[in-house]
Amino acid sequence: MRWTVLRYFAISCLAAALAFSAAARTRPHYGGTLHVEIAGDPWQTPDGLARRLILDGLTAFNANGEVSPALAVEWQSEDNDHRWQFRLRSGVHFHDGSPLTSTAVVMSLNLACTPNCPWATVHAVGSSVVFTSDSPLPNLPALLAGDEFLIALTRTPDGQTPANPIGTGPFQFAAFSNGVLTLTANDNCWQDRPFLDEVTISASRPIRDQWLDLSVGRADVVEVPPQELRQAQQQRLTVVVSPPVELLALQVSDSGALANPVLRAAIAQAVDRSALFNVIFQKQGEITASLLPQSLTGYSFLFPTDRDVNKANELRGGLTPPPLTFAAGGDGTMQLATQRIALNLHEAGFSVQVVNARNAPSTDLALRKLSVEGADPPDALAILLRSAGENAPVAGLNSTALYRAEHDFLDLKTLVPLLDLPRAYAIGGRVRDLTLRADGTPDLAGASLEGAQ
Amino acid sequence: MKLIWLIAAMVGLSGLAAYAAPSPWEQPAASLADQVAAILGPGQAHLTIQNLSSISTDEIPAIRRLLTQDLKAHGVAMAGAESANTVRVTLSESVRERLWVAEIGEGNQTQVAIVDLGPIQPQQAPTVSGLTLSSRQILVARDPLLAVLEIPNGLVALEPEQVVLYAHTAEGWQEQKHLSIEQRRQLARDPRGALLGYGDGLSFDAWLPGVHCTGSFTFVPSPIGSNFDCRESDDPWAVTQPPLHLTESSGGATEMNVTVTPIRAFYNASRSYFTGVLAPNNGPDLPPFYSAALIPRVAGSAALLVGGIDGKVQLVENGALKPVAGTRDWGSDFAVLQSSCGAGTQVIASSSGEAASDSLRAFELPALEAVPASVPLTMDGTVTALWTTPDGKSVLAVVRNAANQYEVDRVTVLCN
Repeated sequence: MRWTVLRYFAISCLAAALAFSAAARTRPHYGGTLHVEIAGDPWQTPDGLARRLILDGLTAFNANGEVSPALAVEWQSEDNDHRWQFRLRSGVHFHDGSPLTSTAVVMSLNLACTPNCPWATVHAVGSSVVFTSDSPLPNLPALLAGDEFLIALTRTPDGQTPANPIGTGPFQFAAFSNGVLTLTANDNCWQDRPFLDEVTISASRPIRDQWLDLSVGRADVVEVPPQELRQAQQQRLTVVVSPPVELLALQVSDSGALANPVLRAAIAQAVDRSALFNVIFQKQGEITASLLPQSLTGYSFLFPTDRDVNKANELRGGLTPPPLTFAAGGDGTMQLATQRIALNLHEAGFSVQVVNARNAPSTDLALRKLSVEGADPPDALAILLRSAGENAPVAGLNSTALYRAEHDFLDLKTLVPLLDLPRAYAIGGRVRDLTLRADGTPDLAGASLEGAQ
Repeated sequence: MKLIWLIAAMVGLSGLAAYAAPSPWEQPAASLADQVAAILGPGQAHLTIQNLSSISTDEIPAIRRLLTQDLKAHGVAMAGAESANTVRVTLSESVRERLWVAEIGEGNQTQVAIVDLGPIQPQQAPTVSGLTLSSRQILVARDPLLAVLEIPNGLVALEPEQVVLYAHTAEGWQEQKHLSIEQRRQLARDPRGALLGYGDGLSFDAWLPGVHCTGSFTFVPSPIGSNFDCRESDDPWAVTQPPLHLTESSGGATEMNVTVTPIRAFYNASRSYFTGVLAPNNGPDLPPFYSAALIPRVAGSAALLVGGIDGKVQLVENGALKPVAGTRDWGSDFAVLQSSCGAGTQVIASSSGEAASDSLRAFELPALEAVPASVPLTMDGTVTALWTTPDGKSVLAVVRNAANQYEVDRVTVLCN
């Protein structure tokens, strides 16, 4: 029901936008510079806005959230998904003109992959890239569509490490100064040239400054955090809103003070999701206790969301663990949510010390936003589990098996789902055809500007 | 006596009809009951049903009846709310499919059973009255289709790197031959192309940004490309498709068999529009435009309808450029067809909205105002090109669908 309200709001915003731009529309115009402002870092992982403009993956999620070809045109698995071969698209060049080769792809993947790599080896075979693993990798095509494994040039033809990111995407790096990243259109992009000539991304801009710049025409695309959607409606901004694409979850350490799973279960019972939803996130998104949203699985309601302090106390059973450390990071809203959950835990008999995330890389508790990507529930679950630090194969499952997989993971109580949140952006009057990708980020390569020449 | 026989026959027929059309919920109800009974075993349980799906509440009693019958067949009798065993069934759905979930409670223990019902069938579009546009899909391709030309027993499709010849067979449209275009330039994100067929039905011209190709076929018995040649060229493209059968504007369907030379226009390859310069150019100066089509006017004359890049639609008639009203909802693509309906000539225009799927709508131009002649026809995705067929009686629409495939749809006007 709540999501229905959000959808209604999104539709209302779009309807208002359409009514406002009732003049005859044409094919998109080429040219012009689009100005984007964001609160974070355009190069952050995941979801850095510039990453998707400069770099491509071997695969990509299309607008429907399905895995589709990108730098790889086809792929096949062998040996029960233990070996995958991806054939590269021919005729693709990096922005510096050097050709995309299987060796370059392997170097990029080796550099990107952390010790928690989903595969054991990756190597070049002719114009293909071959992955092998000791355990099956049924979700590899979907994992490769993610932000983590975008392909960048790691060595220039003369053997140097590029000073700036070089990829194959629709835009290429031009300059970065005074916090503004400038990207120019890649005329030779394999996906064909974008409509825009140039994109500027102003980083680390507070939301209020972004909205002010939008109102005076200094910005064309700005962020609207979920808790500000109502405010954006009141200010009559034209807003594009994604479905729920981010899971706000409490990550609970399974070592140290919380090694006992019963204590972790008590923490899960103590969290008050309604307060987070009603007060801090201003009734945007959906309350959830499942990993995947109801819209993706249809069974999310099976996971109870109500707080039960008595049950939490009962589970704790008089145990008083040492003070727990709780990392507070992110923006002001995330810090408020952290404080609120700490209060919930105090009420259930836990002693919690909120610490700055920058100064405490390892804590007992942390609030995280995890991406929910893709329309295929097994793939989406595999991606989400990976972002939570788990490499778990999830494929070919019916709803019963998928529910069991999700239930068994949540039973560990190392991740407590709280809210499904959308992503939203406000756009200026001259922006046309801006759509959101499957991960809720704007697809600037498909956008154009009214009146550009 | 006759009445009794009649009633008996009606009862029999209704029973037969019920037998012939089983409820769509029978199978999932039976499957869920199987799972529930396997968990509960024979005994009693209290059944509740909640509906979180798009299934009409009118259907819930029938679903309850089916579940009750199937559970009873497994030895699970229905009991009141005081029963220690509960079966809470939720009719749910995701964006893609329906599922029924049973939460089976036995004391403090709750177990879950789920039945997948498969994809949700899309709602049928309501039928509409008035002059109607009809669309029929004739081809689906994975590669972008820039233009499509109908030839006798075949179809020519222009793709960024090749021309593909299709033959119409009993199994549908079959690929016959691929004619490679070696001179491919880097295309724009919104690539365009054009095809022009000739009266002999045996040859064609193709244009891509910076490339001009000529080809011809032989029929053995399907069209086979016998000659195909491409060269780099900035020569003007054909923007209108002959022949145009000019008719009396009064609505009579008299064909005048006037041969109309195709109008050609220079194309700006880096910006994907026509510059406004025609060849030959003996009319007024035109603004840059996306689309143009010849439309019959009074006394067997023809006028050129031009859709500018600024969204304005204008008519070139009697050496003058005149704005056309009523085109605020038009997109950038339109084509003209001739039918036996209404005024005999309709402009089929794409929509201008930001909806996920474009629509097509028929308009008539009795004067300098486009008058809607049909309700919009929603297409399966974005309309990327519209071309009039050589017989002038239908329009071929190229549509990029949600799966990023390219469909060719034949659009015709139906009279009511």
